[in-house]
Amino acid sequence: MKLARVVGTVVSTINSPDLDGRTLLLCDLLDPSGTPAGGYLIAVDSVGAGAGETVLILDEGNSARQVLAAPGAPIRTVVVGIVDTVTGKEPDIRPAAAGAAAATRRSPKAPRRRGGGTRSDADHA
Amino acid sequence: MQLARVIGTVVATVKAPGLEGVKLLVIQPLDRHLAPVGSQLVAADAVHMAGPGELVYFVAAREAAEAMPDRFVPVDHAIVGIVDAVRSLAGDDPAEGAS
Repeated sequence: MKLARVVGTVVSTINSPDLDGRTLLLCDLLDPSGTPAGGYLIAVDSVGAGAGETVLILDEGNSARQVLAAPGAPIRTVVVGIVDTVTGKEPDIRPAAAGAAAATRRSPKAPRRRGGGTRSDADHA
Repeated sequence: MQLARVIGTVVATVKAPGLEGVKLLVIQPLDRHLAPVGSQLVAADAVHMAGPGELVYFVAAREAAEAMPDRFVPVDHAIVGIVDAVRSLAGDDPAEGAS
């Protein structure tokens, strides 16, 4: 599975019948620290993910069709979760509000908070 | 799934069984700002309505064959939708509407 951030939607009226009524989300792939890893995917929503949220993306056809209960659908990529936090060696991802995410995007060059500050915040959260 | 622009058609008379009547289009994959990325490829048109110049999205791998009427065809990229618009959800700029 992959980490990604929802950045948009794709609107389509002429499509494969299996995609009728499904929400297509444009998702930028992220590395575990929350920075864009390059690349994007169009994924079918299954959890009601919204703008700026960090999500978990499943990119395998059989599992995708099982999640959506849509056997035979030409679908391979599905949003299967909304990420609260990712912990590890890198600074924690704290997706929280869409507003915060949008602010982050507006200043992509801004240095991310690193190390102690972020971590202790998380510990006390 | 990814965005792509249809840039041409492919005509082949001699084809593998199962590909009869399948429209083949040359597509250029795009990044989310609609800039070309990667190499062009040939995709089957599963919506039967895509034509040159159109903004579409396609699915790759085994799922491409699932989009075809006959699910056991040698197809590995299929156009599964024509894009009306790509909308940003939070003031980011992904890409403005389709052509």
